[in-house]
Amino acid sequence: MKDAVLPRPSRRRVEADHPPYDVTAVAAVLERWAGTPGNLLPVLHDVQAALGHVPPGCVAQIARALNRSRAEVHGVISFYHDFRRQPAGRHVLKVCQAESCQATGGRALTARLEQLLGCGLGETSADGAVTLEAVYCLGNCACSPAMMLDGRLFGRVTEAAAERLLAEARQDA
Amino acid sequence: MWSELRALREDVDYGTPPRDGEAVTLTVDGVPVTVAAGSSVMLAAAAAGRPVVKLCATDMLEAFGSCRVCLVEIEGRRGFPASCTTPVEPGMAVRTDTPRLAELRAGVMELYLSDFPAEDVLGGWSELHEVIATTGVSSHRYGPGENHLAAPVDDSNPYFLFDPAKCIVCSRCVRACEEVQGTFALTIQGRGFESKVVASQGEPFLDSECVSCGACVQACPTQSLVEKSLFEGGYRSADPAQA
Amino acid sequence: MVCVPRDSTALSVGADAVAAAIAAEAVRRGLPVEIKRTSSRGLFWLEPLVEVPTAAGAVGYGPVEPEEVPGLFEAGFLQGGRHSRSLGPVAQIPFLARQERLIFGRAGVTDPQSLAEYQAHGGLAGLRRALSMAPAAVVDEVHASGLRGRGGAAFPTGIKWRTVAGAQAPCKYVAVNADEGDSGTYSDRMVMEGDPFLLLEGMAIAAYATGASHGYIYVRSEYPHAVAALEAALATLRAAGWYGARVQGSDFSFDAEVRVGAGAYICGEETAMIESIEGKRGMIRYKPPLPALKGLFGMPTVVNNVVSLASVPAILDRGAQFYADYGMGRSRGTLPIQLAGNVKRAGLVEKAFGVTLRELIEDFGGGTRSGRPVRAVQVGGPLGAYFDASLLDLPLDYEALAQHKGMAGHGGIVVFDDTVDMAEQARYAMAFCAIESCGKCTPCRVGSTRGRELIERIVRGERPRENHAQLLKLCDVMENASLCALGGMAPWPVLSALKYFPEDFGLPSERQPAHVV
Repeated sequence: MKDAVLPRPSRRRVEADHPPYDVTAVAAVLERWAGTPGNLLPVLHDVQAALGHVPPGCVAQIARALNRSRAEVHGVISFYHDFRRQPAGRHVLKVCQAESCQATGGRALTARLEQLLGCGLGETSADGAVTLEAVYCLGNCACSPAMMLDGRLFGRVTEAAAERLLAEARQDA
Repeated sequence: MWSELRALREDVDYGTPPRDGEAVTLTVDGVPVTVAAGSSVMLAAAAAGRPVVKLCATDMLEAFGSCRVCLVEIEGRRGFPASCTTPVEPGMAVRTDTPRLAELRAGVMELYLSDFPAEDVLGGWSELHEVIATTGVSSHRYGPGENHLAAPVDDSNPYFLFDPAKCIVCSRCVRACEEVQGTFALTIQGRGFESKVVASQGEPFLDSECVSCGACVQACPTQSLVEKSLFEGGYRSADPAQA
Repeated sequence: MVCVPRDSTALSVGADAVAAAIAAEAVRRGLPVEIKRTSSRGLFWLEPLVEVPTAAGAVGYGPVEPEEVPGLFEAGFLQGGRHSRSLGPVAQIPFLARQERLIFGRAGVTDPQSLAEYQAHGGLAGLRRALSMAPAAVVDEVHASGLRGRGGAAFPTGIKWRTVAGAQAPCKYVAVNADEGDSGTYSDRMVMEGDPFLLLEGMAIAAYATGASHGYIYVRSEYPHAVAALEAALATLRAAGWYGARVQGSDFSFDAEVRVGAGAYICGEETAMIESIEGKRGMIRYKPPLPALKGLFGMPTVVNNVVSLASVPAILDRGAQFYADYGMGRSRGTLPIQLAGNVKRAGLVEKAFGVTLRELIEDFGGGTRSGRPVRAVQVGGPLGAYFDASLLDLPLDYEALAQHKGMAGHGGIVVFDDTVDMAEQARYAMAFCAIESCGKCTPCRVGSTRGRELIERIVRGERPRENHAQLLKLCDVMENASLCALGGMAPWPVLSALKYFPEDFGLPSERQPAHVV
């Protein structure tokens, strides 16, 4: 194959198309993990912790620092359901969908949460307060049904208790 | 540009790269064959003149083990190992053609066809079409279901186009980009049923890290990635509105 | 002193609020009360379970609501006084008294982050003994114990270690699989949160025996408390000279780090976990090469589950024979069984292999929480078979369950009452596989979605005979042609639901005459 026969097509710079993000924060994360073998997941976790999500624009910055391609970094981000490519609501509510919770009213609990928030799993309520996410087991199966609000675990969750927690969460902005 | 490479298909594709090791003798469907240690059962089968059908394997790339049509039976072993990822052992007795294997292969082919444009099953030419012909499976019994048939064609690159509807997610293009070209411009986006070949961050090929080397096109077993020059009158479904 | 657990399940039902209420009430009454935050006993239906050590042993109160705290003081609980929440001596609660706790002996007793307490309760004795032996002798000891991997595959741990020990390489690793994703399981989480030194001791023994110099603990992101507990415990062990360069002045150097998963069930499969630790998509690698020979970063790697490694210190401390004396057949030692779902007394039961499902669900579990009849039991996680009530006399043993196309897996048991819709459970099994499939092999990537669609059609009454036949074909292809156990076993819950509960699918019963166990 002789590439020289054909001119190489010109291309746009896509990096510029992404919304701006905090480059310094990402640089600090990359600095922290520099030289650690297999550091892409820790980097992505820390970027998400710092910025609330992994902005598409930072993929090029991460790729350059780790000597990987944007495709590789994007492939990894899109594989893992934890990594968000857009910001979440002010609160994140993860509700368990797995068997132990199914056996104890988890389906009804999820339906009630969807009704209260007016959004489905994977969506954010219209007021931007709460992002509702599915999770497959929180290891709290002895006290099912379970959910996690902003990293805080709740067990034996009744619909009434969920309603109270949501009301509290939606109040503080 | 790639026509001379297409001609290579006339040669034998042993499925996995050759190895350099001590001689190992085994039998494939009763035919004795000697290959280098470290070779795959798939390579031995091809060398014995008993080639196994394959989709994700080609001898220009390392074995991957994803397509599951190259299953074989090995005497004394349980199950149906993939021949591409199983190394040869001395005295191994491999069977490539049993009713049970035919049944499983047909089952896997049905799954492929359940997410492949029906109008392209017959009359096309590609490695997938060869496997369709070899296995005799050209339809499926799943009825209409979730699929990728409406995914838009990417014709941004002047030389080739990518029709995701015909993609079987074998990753040959992704691997060719990495192993042959060293560019790493392609990846699989998402996982499970949502898995999709994309360039860079899911952008048009022309805007991506792709350098238009053509390794992916050469590697594609379904003509999902295909040279534009083959479609002088324009690609049939390049515009979904006209499809 | 008053003990209140800090296990995340206890926290999820208000343990912090109870501890705070006890502290506030003590201040109000001008009483000096020391509150010790312990691990959990695993008697979760009693959480928050407050314990007070007395001369006659710890007495318990639970489940305690914060509002009940003043009443506890009134009742003189600091001296073990009677109260409506009294449980008496905790060690005599039948659920606990009938267990054989080799791994969870410290559960609910010690402060998880106190190395002094860990050692006072037998901790580090196994590692001390191991360091006094030749590495090969440590491998032999573990091999002789009959320990098999507790993650699900039940591969003999000693053989795995021997393979790694025998491999020549510039560098070797220990990778702990703490990606406990099966619904109905929490024993790994309990070890990591409640006794992190135990896991780290087992890991160091594995490293010493196999010649590994660095370790990774891959913990799922759903377990933030476990991550924090392990990181703190690692720092403590480093400071005390049990981790790091020249452990306790010996020639053995070993250190480890915690890696956090990112929401992918498939990363509980060892090769996908390795890819993930390397910073890649969690795709399945084909085997061979085995991770024991070519694992993390291409180097020989011991991949063990948390409970497997947590079983090791006792084997080294008390000897292989002591451990092997527990169990039945080829299933030696104890298995932490986790009762979950609709069960009255949900919690951790560590027993020797051989206990039956009926003993577990009825005697330990007390039947369903809802009080309705047990209809179905799923054993071994989302890829485990559903059993109906006729199979409850099966013993929990790797081989016995395998005969019924079931598996002990990671020891999770999820109980369902008679309101369960088993067609919906079967549909979920396929849907879960579709959500969690890595997407590499076609039977799993496409088959799981097709399986869900077929079950939906059967339930809607669309050509049920044809779609049922096609579903069986699909299950055969997934079982026999998939690359790993996710696609290979996702059909098990589906096939068992079809076999035992065809009426839920609107299908005619195919049930055979009464099952002979």
